[in-house]
Amino acid sequence: MEPILKIDNLKTSFLTSSGEVQAVRGVSFTVNRGDILGIVGESGSGKSVTSMSILRLLPDTARIKEGSIEFHGKNLVTTSKKEMREIRGEKISMIFQDPMSSLNPLVPVGKQVAEVILQHHPDTGREAVRQEVLELFRRVRIPEPEKRFHSFPHAFSGGMRQRVMIAMALANKPDLLIADEPTTALDVTIQNQILRQLRELQEQSGTSILFITHDLGVVAELCSHVLVMYGGLVMEQASIDEIFEHPGHPYTMGLLASMPDLEQDKRVRLRPIPGSPPDMTNPPKGCPFAPRCPYARKICAQECPDLAALGEGHLSRCFLQYEDAPADAHNPFRNGE
Amino acid sequence: MMENKWELLESSNEDREKIWAKNRTFAGDVWFRFRHKPTALAGFGILVLLVLFALAGPFFSPYSYKDQNLDVVNIPPLMKVFDAPDGTGYLYITQSLKVLRVNEDGTLGTQLKKLREESGSSMSIFDCNGREVGLYYGAKPYVMADPESRMIFSSRMVWNRSYAFGTDSLGRDILTRLMYGTRVSLLVALIAVLVNMVIGILFGGISGYAGGTVDGVMMRIVDIISTIPLTLYVILIMVLLGSGLQSIIAALGTVYWVDMARVVRGQVLSLKSQEFVLAARTIGSSAGTILKTHLIPNAMASILVTVTMLIPSAIFMEAFLGFLGIGLQPPLASLGTMCNDATENLRSCPHQLLIPALVICLIMFAFNFVGDGLRDALDPKLKK
Amino acid sequence: MSSENILEVRNLTKHFKAGRDQIVHAVDGVSFSLKRGTTLGLVGESGCGKSTCARTIIRMYDPTDGSILLDGTDITAMKQKQLKPYRKKMQMIFQDPYASLNARMTVRDIIAEPLLAHGVVKNRAEANEIVYPILDRVGLTKEHANRYAHEFSGGQRQRVGIARALVLHPELVICDEPISALDVSIQAQVINLLKDFQEEKNLSYLFIAHDLSMVRYVSDHVGVMYLGHLVEMSEADEIYKNPLHPYTRGLLGSIPAADPKLARRKEKSGIEGDIPSPIHPPSGCRFHTRCPYAKPECAQREPERKEVGGGHMVACHLY
Repeated sequence: MEPILKIDNLKTSFLTSSGEVQAVRGVSFTVNRGDILGIVGESGSGKSVTSMSILRLLPDTARIKEGSIEFHGKNLVTTSKKEMREIRGEKISMIFQDPMSSLNPLVPVGKQVAEVILQHHPDTGREAVRQEVLELFRRVRIPEPEKRFHSFPHAFSGGMRQRVMIAMALANKPDLLIADEPTTALDVTIQNQILRQLRELQEQSGTSILFITHDLGVVAELCSHVLVMYGGLVMEQASIDEIFEHPGHPYTMGLLASMPDLEQDKRVRLRPIPGSPPDMTNPPKGCPFAPRCPYARKICAQECPDLAALGEGHLSRCFLQYEDAPADAHNPFRNGE
Repeated sequence: MMENKWELLESSNEDREKIWAKNRTFAGDVWFRFRHKPTALAGFGILVLLVLFALAGPFFSPYSYKDQNLDVVNIPPLMKVFDAPDGTGYLYITQSLKVLRVNEDGTLGTQLKKLREESGSSMSIFDCNGREVGLYYGAKPYVMADPESRMIFSSRMVWNRSYAFGTDSLGRDILTRLMYGTRVSLLVALIAVLVNMVIGILFGGISGYAGGTVDGVMMRIVDIISTIPLTLYVILIMVLLGSGLQSIIAALGTVYWVDMARVVRGQVLSLKSQEFVLAARTIGSSAGTILKTHLIPNAMASILVTVTMLIPSAIFMEAFLGFLGIGLQPPLASLGTMCNDATENLRSCPHQLLIPALVICLIMFAFNFVGDGLRDALDPKLKK
Repeated sequence: MSSENILEVRNLTKHFKAGRDQIVHAVDGVSFSLKRGTTLGLVGESGCGKSTCARTIIRMYDPTDGSILLDGTDITAMKQKQLKPYRKKMQMIFQDPYASLNARMTVRDIIAEPLLAHGVVKNRAEANEIVYPILDRVGLTKEHANRYAHEFSGGQRQRVGIARALVLHPELVICDEPISALDVSIQAQVINLLKDFQEEKNLSYLFIAHDLSMVRYVSDHVGVMYLGHLVEMSEADEIYKNPLHPYTRGLLGSIPAADPKLARRKEKSGIEGDIPSPIHPPSGCRFHTRCPYAKPECAQREPERKEVGGGHMVACHLY
């Protein structure tokens, strides 16, 4: 498989009034052509900052401190602003969480999508662009595209706006689509529609998708591989089946255990992960999950484990899966042996 | 390697729920962001200095704002003087063609006695410690010369040590009047703040919280008040109360809160539908409690910014009225009346206008910078 | 006197004016009752009127029609002053833990506010005696009491919100999407806390959410709302095992499977299209514009609510 995006040891920090917030603390991963890679994490895990770093859309107070982001062999961290503008929307495009604020309320939606095409292909004829936009509207299933072409965003529901955003993102047939929580603000029924849409579009065009979400359920519906982030670090990386069948990190295990499924017995209490996510101005010295981990050992509070292979294509950042870890009753990896 | 590294980690609930952020109150947080903005801090520093200048200054000044000394009229801060022939000090020609003795340290001495007029040679002869000296007024600039040898005494520039900023057309010390003028300006600022804080917040708060018809009526009142020009208003009030500071205060008091009322109403309207206010209503808190503990404190950021932005305009308003001659009455000094007085002899004594005008600018800059800094410091969206 | 049903809602209707001659039909003729010590879940898409329903019941809005009986007392037409003693019985937990706490207040003052408003305590010192234990109960400590709300994480804030709602020992708590703004790892903490309080104090919950799996887990009964109408209502397990209304089926079919194998096998059910505007709701059955089983009759006549056995109510022409 051909890798199109390769991130190596990315570190991004924010400067705040209470000190430096290390939002991303050394993240590495690869997106292959045609992959749908999911990044799962809760707020503050650094998943959104990672995606913003790829497109260099970070706020002024943020800095990429270390690492490289290679896209088709070109390091996006050092690329000039002008080149970056050419890559955005053309080679890499993005869908955001809030479909209400990502469209300009004063411009008809058709025109907004057309502008994205004209931005990168200025010599396209008017009629050709119009036809292209209508075709895009049809592909994302916007009913009555001719009529909708001249409508303003306020006449659209949240789901419809998100479709317009997807049409806009796909306008220039990008190699990579970054979707940052695109369904979080939507109802389940609409989320279901959008997820199906994304899957179909991916199958048709072969665009790679980096899908960022906090919802493991959504990941299960869509992605082929998953990255679990916590405290600015990748905690686990595996194929989607592996994650759900053999979760390789206490955090992933905790997440799966705290979600009730539809068959959950009501008399059984849920097993939440205790405590709150770490404050990244003062990240824990060792493993960021150690303060909340039910299996944490003394070493976990002192040192941060490395991401190591657990199985084929399955990486996990946990001391307890290491060779020298004791196989006692408090080791979730060994206690069956 | 550490020992017992595989021992279970004891972690208590306290560790998991620990809040790492420093325990900073709202005011502390605002101050932290405020002091990291150089312009805001500079503005704040200037304000402190101005307050000290206005309040403490007059105690150190040998003059009062109304002491007239017609001997020393329109003296500039930097004087062109001529060496006295007796070698002790200098001589300065006043605008009314009198000659002042200036001591060597720059302080002003007595006037020389005029002996006679020699119109043939365009000279007035004065007595300087027994020696005759002549003031030649045949051509500008006027000079001091020896009436016999007709030799011009050598001249030099000397700083005025008696009146650092010079004197005005009635011989009053400009520096002292400046202190009193700044006092008036700051008093006006204080009144503007009080009026805004009390009437503006109450009116806007009640209007926004009550909503509906009450809001409609109250806002129409605001509209009506804000359509009457303030100058007209002041003149009308002067007819009633006579001219003076009390009229300006009364005018500011009655109309100067309308902008604040609008701002507070807008804030309250938007805050009112937020969940924490809804929560207070479902709890059963009274309207007064909701306004006092929920709405006003959360609108405080906009209120403070509006106040600091309104102060310069109030100060400017007073100065403007003073300049038009409908503000304070002499001998009281305000920055505006000082500017007005200075226009009479703008040509010969531009410093009389320049100095109070600069102080007005300084005050307005300071308040604007502080307001700007406060807005950035209070706006959580700009929080870095 | 205490009746078996802590809350009874009959034909509750709430219309809002939206500009000239336009009326938003937010809630239309909703009736249900809530037994003491149980939980009723209300689900539906955003815009279905579930939050308006909750806010009308707690009398944040004045109902257009219908009646609300709290513990047997009709509170529908009460003025805010008369209502005050009843507010002690009925409290609310809000969706957004960031917006629902005043950022300028300390946690102590937030939790003490209901105590002071109802004169349970006279001053802050007295309030501490009540505030500290309840803080401890929701997993926070004395040290947290002096902190400002904005310093807390989302889950901690929501627990403060729960403490505020429960400090007056209410009998009915209306939970308006209490977990939807929280991280997955935190949601279960909040749910466990709510369940513990229910067992301990025999609380009744009106639980509004769009997370259907969580609603099933917490609720004894579930009502499904669509465009201001209650279209189906039943025991929680029954409605999930045997959904009758096409809307309920679509809603359940839209839930992400949280299991990749199931997701691949699952038939692609769901609902097409968007929820119509409540200003001009469709005629007849309001769901007919999106319903895969719609008959001509559905566009003309509004379906009646029918009981199909075992307390399972549905409003659909198919039954």
